[in-house]
Amino acid sequence: MKFYYFHLMPYPLEHDEPSSWVTFSNRHYDPQVGHTLYNQYLDQLEYAEQLGWDGLCVNEHHQNCYGTMPSPNVMAAMLVRRTSRARIAILGNGLPLRENPLRISGGRVISGFVRGIGPEYYSTGVNPSHSRERFYEAADLIIRAWTEAGPFPYDGRFYRYHFVNPWPRPLQQPHPPVWCPSQGSAETVEWAARRRFPYLMVFTPIKRIAQIYGEYREACERNGYTASRYQLTVNLPIIVAESDARAYAIARRHALWVYHVGLRMSLPFWQPPGYTTEPSLKRVLTSGIKLPTELTFEDLEDGGYIICGSPATVRDKLKIFSDELRAGIVCSGMNGGSHEKTLEMMQLFAEEVMPHFREDAGVDETAGVGR
Amino acid sequence: MTERALTVRGVSVRLLSGGDGPALLFLHAAGGAGRWLPFHEQLARRFTLLFPSHPGHGGSAAADWIDHISDLAFHYLDLLDELRLERVHLVGASFGGWIAAEIAVMASHRLKSLVLIDPVGIKVDGWIYPFLFAMELPQLVATVFHDPMNALALAPADLGVDTLVELSRERAALARVAWNPYLYNPLLKRRLCRITAPTLLCWGEHDRVAPLQCARAWTAEIAGARLEAFAGSGHVPHIEEPARAAAVVSEFCAGHEEGR
Repeated sequence: MKFYYFHLMPYPLEHDEPSSWVTFSNRHYDPQVGHTLYNQYLDQLEYAEQLGWDGLCVNEHHQNCYGTMPSPNVMAAMLVRRTSRARIAILGNGLPLRENPLRISGGRVISGFVRGIGPEYYSTGVNPSHSRERFYEAADLIIRAWTEAGPFPYDGRFYRYHFVNPWPRPLQQPHPPVWCPSQGSAETVEWAARRRFPYLMVFTPIKRIAQIYGEYREACERNGYTASRYQLTVNLPIIVAESDARAYAIARRHALWVYHVGLRMSLPFWQPPGYTTEPSLKRVLTSGIKLPTELTFEDLEDGGYIICGSPATVRDKLKIFSDELRAGIVCSGMNGGSHEKTLEMMQLFAEEVMPHFREDAGVDETAGVGR
Repeated sequence: MTERALTVRGVSVRLLSGGDGPALLFLHAAGGAGRWLPFHEQLARRFTLLFPSHPGHGGSAAADWIDHISDLAFHYLDLLDELRLERVHLVGASFGGWIAAEIAVMASHRLKSLVLIDPVGIKVDGWIYPFLFAMELPQLVATVFHDPMNALALAPADLGVDTLVELSRERAALARVAWNPYLYNPLLKRRLCRITAPTLLCWGEHDRVAPLQCARAWTAEIAGARLEAFAGSGHVPHIEEPARAAAVVSEFCAGHEEGR
């Protein structure tokens, strides 16, 4: 199994406002604290490569304390020059949020295509009822710009150019691998499977991951091929400590923040008008899935939203992902409560857990997938 | 009141109608689809009231091609053709008022009279419409109604999955044409001078969506437009003061039976 270190770059602040997104005033942001955090977070990502992680993940979110990377390509560009081996996975660029989606990056890059979550449409002003169509169109335009010699005209419904001719062209041929981080809408599963784009389940209970993986594998078969295990990826926080008790104590204090504070927002922000198709909305309404703020620690732990425990416990739980779900790549962020404790936790994981899952050490997880 | 389905250039429309007399087309506000209320009942005593649901709202199918407010205006001109109505009284509330104004700048000659109840649709200097799409229900009710109890008139019958999906469809259909620019067409204000039909503006004095100052922007652009204020209403006087609103509208329309 491959391990990618995933960072949200949160601004970890406790507060009582009803929403951590869109309307949460940026007067709560202290630029000096932010400066320190950005440097610590980048240090953590660089350290992850030294410890043996296979990839480093950054991502895009806007106007919130949950993740302070409005421009993930900037973070990726910094990491590319400070690392030498790890894949740099941008998970991803919010394609429909851009007026001009033509941006290029090169080298060890994995390019995630995402729509952006609900609140992003309130922050950017992009019409959420166009989200899905804009996403498909932007993805089509980017792939064409990567693979066809320019200039060529592009006359879409949302994006129109007389001269598509980006300089430079991507180093990776035919183009950087594309990943599709998502929460399991039927339409996205089908779309990603058809294009062989790896599917990344983000912050999802394990039962639903199993169901969506099944649907993705079926969709791949329908499209005439068998999914590689590296097309099935998962993003889940891991909390590891010397003992189960210690790990649980840390998780209760720090891992819950992401769900209870970081993802706290009003219902309209979760569900902007037209963002979700009617079949997907029905699926959500009838599935009984809880909002992040409704999840208890036991829900997270029992539901398999997070992995938590001593190295031995974490190994056992990870085996479920590697052996039963047959996920090929685990993306996880860690939070020990402070920068130093986080580095220690990363080291413990790299020494006591990671080596037990290295039967595929020589395999290139990007070969033949994502394009 | 009777209900029927009709097809307008391929779009399936749910149409409520009642009463007899001259035809009066009512264009509902967001959230008002299919709600035959005392206001409509009273208008139906003097007019044949035609009350369609906008595409994507209240039992009318969503239409993919509707992407701009003018698409809805053309849709209603098509509906008049389908019903073989040459000229009508046109009454629109809030979002429906916006559509009515778009129709009026295109085809004033089809209107015997025009009544706009707290319309949105133009950019008013010094005012930004509050972003209703971001509001949870209590805040939404407090913003739209003068007396929050009046919101019960629009409460859904249940909160089952089908109802929630229908409400979501209405929000999506509204966002399609009104998300950004929010609740206005930048081109409309300049075009209001084309309206030649006799025009009445009804306005709730406590409107917090489009306050009374917005009314003056409309009366300044539409020649001869009359303004009637409602002291006990927020954004929806036809729901908050139905008897008086219906009386004022009836009298105005009846007084212009032959048009200008």
